[in-house]
Amino acid sequence: MLTRLKTQVPLFSMNSYTKLREKLKLSGLSLASTHSHVIRLGRHSRHNSKMAVCIAVIAKENYPLFIRSVPVQNELKFHYTVHTSLDVVEEKISAVGKAMADQRELYLGLLYPTEDYKVYGYVTNSKVKFVIVVDSSNTSLRDNEIRSMFRKLHNSFTDVMCNPFYNPGDTIQSKAFDSIVSAMMVQAS
Amino acid sequence: MSIPDYMQCAEDHQTVLVVVQPVGIVPEDEFFRIYKRITSVAQVSIRDSQRNLYIRYRHHYLPENNEWGDFQTHRKVVGLISVTTCGSAKEWPQTSDRFHCQKDVFGATLYDSRLLVFGLQGEIAEQQRTDVAFYPSYDDCPDVEKRVEDFVESIFIVLESKRLDRATDKSGDKIPLLCVPFEKKDFVGLDTDSRHYKKRCQGRMRKHVGDLCLQAGMLQDALVHYHMAVELLRSVNDFLWLGAALEGLCSASVIFHYPGGTAGKASGREPSLAHGALTANGISADTSSEIGRAKNCLGPEDIIEKYKEAISYYGKYKNAGVIELEACVKAVRVLAIQKRAMEASEFLQNAVYINLGQLSEEEKIQRYSILSELYHLIGFHRKSAFFKRVAAMQCVAPTIPEPGWRACYKLLLETLSGYSLCLDPKDFSKGSHRGWAAVQVRLLHELVYASRRMGNPGLSVRHLSFLLQTMLDLLSDQEKKEVTQSLENYTSKCPGGMEVLTLPDGLKLPPVPLSKLPIVRSVKLLDLPVSLRPHKQKGLLENNMSSKSPFIYSPIIMHTRGEERTKKIEFRWVQGDVCEVQLMVYNPMPFELRVEHMGLLTSGVEFEALPAALSLPAESGLYPVTLVGVPRTAGNINISGYHTSVFGVTSDCLLDGLPSVRTSGCVVEVIPSLPRLQLSTSLPRSAHPLRPSKEELSSSVSVQLFNGETQQLTITLENIGSEDLETLEVTSKTCNTKEKLFGEFLSWDLEEAVSQLPLKPGQSVTLTVNVKVRLDFSGGENLLQDLNDDGISVTGLPISSPLRQVLKPRAETKPLGSESSKTDYNHVKTLEAVMTFKYSGGAGKMEGYYRDLSLGVHVDVEPSVFFTRVSTLPATRTRQCHLLLDVFNSTEHELMVSANNNQDLVLHPSECQRMAIQVAKFDFHTLPQPDQEAVRYTNPKLLEEERLHAQASMISSTLGITWNIISFDGEASVEGVLNQLVLEHLQLAPLQWDVVVNGKPCDCDIIADCKVGDAVPLEVKLTNRSKNAVGPFALTVVPFQDYQNGVQNYDLQDAVTFIGSNTFYIDMVKPTENSACMGALLFLYTGDFYLNIKFQDDSAGQGKELPPSWFGLPSVHIKALEAPIEAGA
Repeated sequence: MLTRLKTQVPLFSMNSYTKLREKLKLSGLSLASTHSHVIRLGRHSRHNSKMAVCIAVIAKENYPLFIRSVPVQNELKFHYTVHTSLDVVEEKISAVGKAMADQRELYLGLLYPTEDYKVYGYVTNSKVKFVIVVDSSNTSLRDNEIRSMFRKLHNSFTDVMCNPFYNPGDTIQSKAFDSIVSAMMVQAS
Repeated sequence: MSIPDYMQCAEDHQTVLVVVQPVGIVPEDEFFRIYKRITSVAQVSIRDSQRNLYIRYRHHYLPENNEWGDFQTHRKVVGLISVTTCGSAKEWPQTSDRFHCQKDVFGATLYDSRLLVFGLQGEIAEQQRTDVAFYPSYDDCPDVEKRVEDFVESIFIVLESKRLDRATDKSGDKIPLLCVPFEKKDFVGLDTDSRHYKKRCQGRMRKHVGDLCLQAGMLQDALVHYHMAVELLRSVNDFLWLGAALEGLCSASVIFHYPGGTAGKASGREPSLAHGALTANGISADTSSEIGRAKNCLGPEDIIEKYKEAISYYGKYKNAGVIELEACVKAVRVLAIQKRAMEASEFLQNAVYINLGQLSEEEKIQRYSILSELYHLIGFHRKSAFFKRVAAMQCVAPTIPEPGWRACYKLLLETLSGYSLCLDPKDFSKGSHRGWAAVQVRLLHELVYASRRMGNPGLSVRHLSFLLQTMLDLLSDQEKKEVTQSLENYTSKCPGGMEVLTLPDGLKLPPVPLSKLPIVRSVKLLDLPVSLRPHKQKGLLENNMSSKSPFIYSPIIMHTRGEERTKKIEFRWVQGDVCEVQLMVYNPMPFELRVEHMGLLTSGVEFEALPAALSLPAESGLYPVTLVGVPRTAGNINISGYHTSVFGVTSDCLLDGLPSVRTSGCVVEVIPSLPRLQLSTSLPRSAHPLRPSKEELSSSVSVQLFNGETQQLTITLENIGSEDLETLEVTSKTCNTKEKLFGEFLSWDLEEAVSQLPLKPGQSVTLTVNVKVRLDFSGGENLLQDLNDDGISVTGLPISSPLRQVLKPRAETKPLGSESSKTDYNHVKTLEAVMTFKYSGGAGKMEGYYRDLSLGVHVDVEPSVFFTRVSTLPATRTRQCHLLLDVFNSTEHELMVSANNNQDLVLHPSECQRMAIQVAKFDFHTLPQPDQEAVRYTNPKLLEEERLHAQASMISSTLGITWNIISFDGEASVEGVLNQLVLEHLQLAPLQWDVVVNGKPCDCDIIADCKVGDAVPLEVKLTNRSKNAVGPFALTVVPFQDYQNGVQNYDLQDAVTFIGSNTFYIDMVKPTENSACMGALLFLYTGDFYLNIKFQDDSAGQGKELPPSWFGLPSVHIKALEAPIEAGA
């Protein structure tokens, strides 16, 4: 009975601390200078220019319609990144003001940088949000490229919405959309 | 300086810091009571100068931080209030020493100090000192506030003097260099005479004076000094102090612009009088005084710019991390007031990066918490929740020896709103709000674990239930398994229930009914079984209807009534009887689901639910579950929901909260209790239900009988309810109309049973029912083929029976063998009837309810005998005739047929024999006539049928034909065989003729004797029994002789002579009257003579309508004998 109990509860398993540390890392909380040094080392090794590490589509009501990240094993971390970025998205939308809402540019630009990543946002007129997370070491990506990625994403999303069998509000399971996203996440070189 | 004060805000720059500390042993709660009273004096307006002094109290302050007092004077401890307990005068010196020790800690910076002594009563050893106050107890110290105010004023005097001292310090004297602790070693050996150095000194001093001015309430002066300091310091690149000067400028401007404060606390900080009447946006009505100020004061945009600059300067110094962090926090607060969240987030982002060196776990928690709070302040709820969660995780980091699960749990709870999660499942099920499921699931898992580690499994169960209930669709199969397993583990320690859990901080965790385990799709209330259904007495029902509305029909339906109807169900339940509700459920889990104690929740009536346990297979389809219960009182019962126990969690699922459940109404009327009868019979139960199953039957019996057989059926009724049986009615209905049935099928005598009422519970009553089957005995003509048809039939007309008509064409097309014809006759017919027992009693009877118990009686009728042909033969007497019946034995046994006054006839299987029965003709007029009332309303055809039936049954009973097979015996009825012609033959004519010869009534077989030569009187008498008057008639008597060889001699003029006329006349005879006419004959020779009385129709037209059979006059046979006298002569 006791052993079963232990194995059943993987909520705070042994690696919970390491997970926690990763979370801190992503939000830029360095625990100590030594840690941040380690991270910097790691960053160099990762310097291989993936275009995006995480792409998310968020519904008007702020729940995810689609989220995909490259290091699959640590998906939850990106969930948190994207989720918190919504604060900034909302702030940016509301800052534009009601009158200007029509002329508002869909591309929101850099939402916030973290130690490892840069988070970019894009909001359609129907308040569907796209979030792209890129590695902050990836300097090859310019603003224009990010914009074009969002545009491609938006087009593909429009196709998804045009599918009569898609229920607005459901998670996106379209293969076409998935392949577009995959294309953005593969190595740029 | 390592520990930042995260609570700092810009307006803290204008406060003076006072430390309040206990000395010696002071009870904590007492100390904080005094502390609270002291801190209430946060703002003191100075009498003479119209200025306000703001005081910041701390009960704990690091001396290390005090060293930064020159850098920013609000960090400097300028006042000390010590609180101490002193029991006796003896302890006083010791206490006093301690006070002085404490003073020394902050000694360098203190302007003044006070000691509050509690407990010392009466004698005070020393002389009155200004800095010591004595109070007898903690409760008895009315002038603490006053003392503090005095103290603050004394601080103000020192502050003011210092300010004036520094401000007027002209360049004549050498200005000392103010520095922060880590700078001290940098300036060793620096040229103190250089211009650069002097400027630096000047700049720093200006900044310091600015601080003092701000503290002393001279905002305008402070701004001027800060501006000067900025200029001076910028020129010498003294970045740290430049930053401080800029920050000072910002603080002063913030104080000017936002007199309400930026800390978000509305406590006590009133708009300063010294600033004049300022409105919230910092623009005074008195513009003239504003102009000068506005010049120096920074605008809202500038404030942020300068903060940014200051922070960038601080950032150059690693040791000024705390200053930088605090500046960030202050700037964020200002931006929050300005509602510029984006910029604030940038400041916070920066604050996140500031490295303060090795922080203790507690400091980390504090830091994350404050970050969370600040994010919350600027409306970034998600970010706030993220940091709160990080703080929570920090509380239980593995490096902490004693993990603070309680704190962790508390912090986690605070993050709920950030993840748009509400722990009330009712809110969750509403609308399409979904939130970010992945993080919500994670958070719930963490809540579960934290609450478990906290030692509160009840909370864990509640959270897990919530997780299962709300996130079920999002969990994978594996997760579902894990979650339910851990739920079961927790509930083994602490079963989950429906009570609201209240946390120590007042948060209420509403109950989570697991309405998705299993999912209920529909709820249907079931009617009672047929035999237990209550019925309302007709009359009473009508009364009820009429009382509701005066109209028979109205298109206007009252709204409430309409609604009541949609919800209310047609049928009724009975108090004390088990009622059923059917739920359609299914199990969404990938494994078998065990549901225990599933019962009904009701309101309105006292209800005893009988819970059920069920086990649903993995991902089952819809599955019907019947929940039962017994209403204990009468009234309207509302099925409001159901109760389950799954994985140890008991839930009350209310239907109101489950919009997905289909229901056809949940309110049903419960009527008072009625008795219950159980029926048992002497006959075996029927396996097959009755064919016309439009009515449901409580039970049915079946029996096999030969046609004409009678069987007794004993029915036992037992009262198995709890009420007395008071009334009992029995009715029956034959439901098979295809077969023609003669005689009464079921007959009984209820008298005896009724006499035993009322029937107490447990008692029983018996009733004997006679089951008599008499179907059509007529048979088809195809059997005749086997018979030697001697053409006896006088009628010569086809025998019209329904069966025969069907069979006739077949017989023609196909020559039938005896085998096939036999099978046709062996086919078993069925007869079915329903007996209904209507009973009532107890309280239900008072309300006009009764119950029905119905018994189906199914009888398979095997054919016994058939009358294949019927005919009549006139008998020798006119009043009698012979009825010839061809009797066919269709059974496989030897059969004996007998009739009244006739000998028995033995028939072998499939044998047919003729049977002749002599019967007196029937006088059908003696049959009772249907009363006029009935005649008027039924159609003539029916009346005719009824009449025929009555006649046939009369004939049948007269004949009394019975059969006997081995041990069975029964009757046979000729009813169906008789046709109109035969009937006519069997009927007595309505005109009754009597012929009397020689005073003796004469008939065909009677020979009247007479003597030759004697006059023979002949009388013909007519009795009219018909309804109409008949006649007049003329009758002619024709004598003839029959030679018995087919020759009849009518030429008898010389042998017979009439005395008088040979024709009689009968006048009109009215109904029921009679008329006679007389004549006489004279026979001249001996011999056998016959008299044929011929009817001559004299009446014009009238007589023709009468059938010839009415004139059945007997022929008279007279034997004329030799007269003996003559012979003698």
